[in-house]
Amino acid sequence: MGRARALLTYSATRLGLAPLMLWLIASLVFLLLRLAPGDPVDAVLGSRAPAAAKAAMRARLGLDQSLLQQYLDYLNGLLHGDLGQALINQEPVSTIIGRTLPASLELSSIALLVAAIVGLSVGFSGIARPEGKLDLAGRLYGLGTYALPPFWVAMLVQLLFAVSLGWLPVGGRFPPSLLPPEGSGFYLLDSIRQADWMALRGTIRHLLLPAGTLALLLSGTFTTALRLNLRRTLRSDYIESARSRGLMESRVVLRHGLPNALLPVLTIAGITVASLIGGALLIEVTFSWPGIALRLQEAINQRDYPVVQGIVVVIAALVVLVSVAVDLLVAALDPRIRY
Amino acid sequence: MAFALISVCFSQLSCQPRRADQQLTVASAGKISSLDPAQASTVNTIQLLSALGDPLYSLSEDGELEPRLAAASPEISADGTTVTIPLRTDVRFHDGSRFDAAAMAFSLRRFLRIGTLSYVVGDRIAAVEVAAPDRLRLRLSRPSTSLEGLLTSVNLTPVSPQAYRDHRDRFLTDRFVGTGPYRLSSFSEHQQRLEPFEAYWGEAPRNSGLDLITLSNSTALYGALRSGEVDVLLSASIDEDQRYALHRKAEAGQLHEAVGPAMEIGYITLLSNAMPLQDPRLRRALSLSLNRTELSARVSYGLRRPLRALVPPSLAGGGGPIWPAHDPMQARALLSSAGYCDGRLLQVPLTFRSNVPADKLLALTWQAQVKRDLSDCLVLELDGVESTTVYRQLGEGAFKAVMLDWRGTYPDPEAYLTPLLSCSNPSGEICLDGEAAISGSFWSTSGLQEALRSSDELRGAARHAELKRIERMSALGAAYIPVWLESPRAWGQTDLSVPEFDGSGHVRLNRLRRTR
Repeated sequence: MGRARALLTYSATRLGLAPLMLWLIASLVFLLLRLAPGDPVDAVLGSRAPAAAKAAMRARLGLDQSLLQQYLDYLNGLLHGDLGQALINQEPVSTIIGRTLPASLELSSIALLVAAIVGLSVGFSGIARPEGKLDLAGRLYGLGTYALPPFWVAMLVQLLFAVSLGWLPVGGRFPPSLLPPEGSGFYLLDSIRQADWMALRGTIRHLLLPAGTLALLLSGTFTTALRLNLRRTLRSDYIESARSRGLMESRVVLRHGLPNALLPVLTIAGITVASLIGGALLIEVTFSWPGIALRLQEAINQRDYPVVQGIVVVIAALVVLVSVAVDLLVAALDPRIRY
Repeated sequence: MAFALISVCFSQLSCQPRRADQQLTVASAGKISSLDPAQASTVNTIQLLSALGDPLYSLSEDGELEPRLAAASPEISADGTTVTIPLRTDVRFHDGSRFDAAAMAFSLRRFLRIGTLSYVVGDRIAAVEVAAPDRLRLRLSRPSTSLEGLLTSVNLTPVSPQAYRDHRDRFLTDRFVGTGPYRLSSFSEHQQRLEPFEAYWGEAPRNSGLDLITLSNSTALYGALRSGEVDVLLSASIDEDQRYALHRKAEAGQLHEAVGPAMEIGYITLLSNAMPLQDPRLRRALSLSLNRTELSARVSYGLRRPLRALVPPSLAGGGGPIWPAHDPMQARALLSSAGYCDGRLLQVPLTFRSNVPADKLLALTWQAQVKRDLSDCLVLELDGVESTTVYRQLGEGAFKAVMLDWRGTYPDPEAYLTPLLSCSNPSGEICLDGEAAISGSFWSTSGLQEALRSSDELRGAARHAELKRIERMSALGAAYIPVWLESPRAWGQTDLSVPEFDGSGHVRLNRLRRTR
């Protein structure tokens, strides 16, 4: 079987398994939510609401049905792309996700980009003199930023740059005095597309602290991963062979070492992206960033089943998609990988 | 370093766009999920609705009932069961439609039908009638003194029948069409923009509009005020340390501070229908072990006032220290008489809401007080539970002792006593069904339900005396231990007018203005 055909088969298998994974995740979330203490009807109507009102709402929401029936209705809705409505305000869950997901994706993608640039630069900087001062600094940076508690760094950064110095906004996603740009929900893109420079400045100012903090915390992973992989790669036989042919060290590193060392980093980046989509909660809470993780936390507190289920399924779908995409990219880039 | 450089660059290159002079930003905690007055229950939502709508009556700073959409005080029939309310005739809704008795009746009936807080009205209002275009008539099932206070509730603010035509029986969550000084120009869960309503019947707003924003944590709110990013900060959900820091800054003249009438009580509910606290001596001993003054100083720097009654003192008929003061000697005597001390420890699990920082501090401080004063008799075992779970399991009798707070839906003693004490199925000292069961105490006592009912039918001094009697019965039963009283606070920048509260504890947003 040719490599292209094998890659295709591999891709189809991975993508074919995705619905199964999503079904498992959706089912698990459905069950766990119902096992958790707390009644969504109480959350909407209050625990003192008349029993008749509670019963009516329970019936309207289908919560009076058997668990199996609720589960089947839920799966049926999912299959038809219907994530349901929020219990608290009857807003379609898809609308909530459509509003909050771009905020999280914007924050995550900018943070990831900055983290990759900074982290890889720091990781690469010490390679000329292993165990030298730069290398040691890179190692410390990698370990330090990885080990820092996110909420602590976030609050420190917030207190310093927003509260004490007053250089940047404390929280939120956009200046309250302006109206956010209409469009995709990605404010950076929307304000550039509409040439609204005031909105762009406001967006960047609000993005700097949360994205910077997230980037700082993520960059250590890139630094450590690149540093370790590059050092291991540069000790490989084929690198020695290149050196023995008299190639310049910079060419050996950049042309032969770096591309191979970056492949595992790509995998790490993929995993990071996946975890970032739902995992930036502490950053979103600290900086009042109205993203999907913050919304998920609020929905869990309110026992808003449809919102929690919808958000978790969408996050899971994104995680599956990103991990499949990364797998395929790595497979396509690395001829050594067999299927 | 990189952070600093980038921050400096952006702080220089792109200063915060200058706002229109009188466009103000007001910050508070917690998102607003629904704008429907029939569904509103959070402090934030009520505050917002108080700017977008008008109640029939409001309370002045002095606690006096003032007509708002009503044209005069309610006319009450001799038997007390018919209340006629004359209405203003110059009021329009934000959609241009006219406010009249039919519109008010529509809103009241809608609230009674679908309102999440309709239980506060209970069975009191038997019928809502339109006596004339400018006269609303309420038929009551029994005389009710607290009805006047109820009519100040923001939950009863009228909505336009035209705009809510398709939402008679369901909530309209993302819009509000009322009669207030502002109308909503944009709404999201985390930000609402209000602009003055040109056709408002009353005093026009002194600012040119408001941006109400919500930030998700106390530090962000505190920081936003400190950095000047917001003009006014409302105190709900501000941590004690930060509240105190803002108070100090206000004392130093660096901020304006306003304190509203104390309407929120913090209290401890004791489970009275199960071991070990079914013995009233033990409940009284717990009550006596609590040093409220010390708690207030340690936890809130004295900003929360010690409370020894269920009804806030600012309400007519409320106040007065009823519960006994801290007395460890007497607590020890009670515990000894119940067979504790002398080598036998009473272990009481004390549950606090883990997401409410003040609760945890209170629990820790009380635990330390008990350890200091009664270590050979009593031990408190702390357990933090998230508040949603606490409220869900409260009525199931899951907590022996649990810390909670309560803010009456309307400013009347009845709004504090009934939700904690009323019982539809009392059996001796136990409440099998009703508010006392939902509140987690399951406590009632002989004559209590009759006293609750009669207190709502009496007026003046007779009512006050009856309210005191109810509180004394409650103190003796000790199923609830009032701890402290919290006043709403608002802080503003010094280039603004000093924020003002109305008698119900809402900031008068329409009076805020930049003074320089």
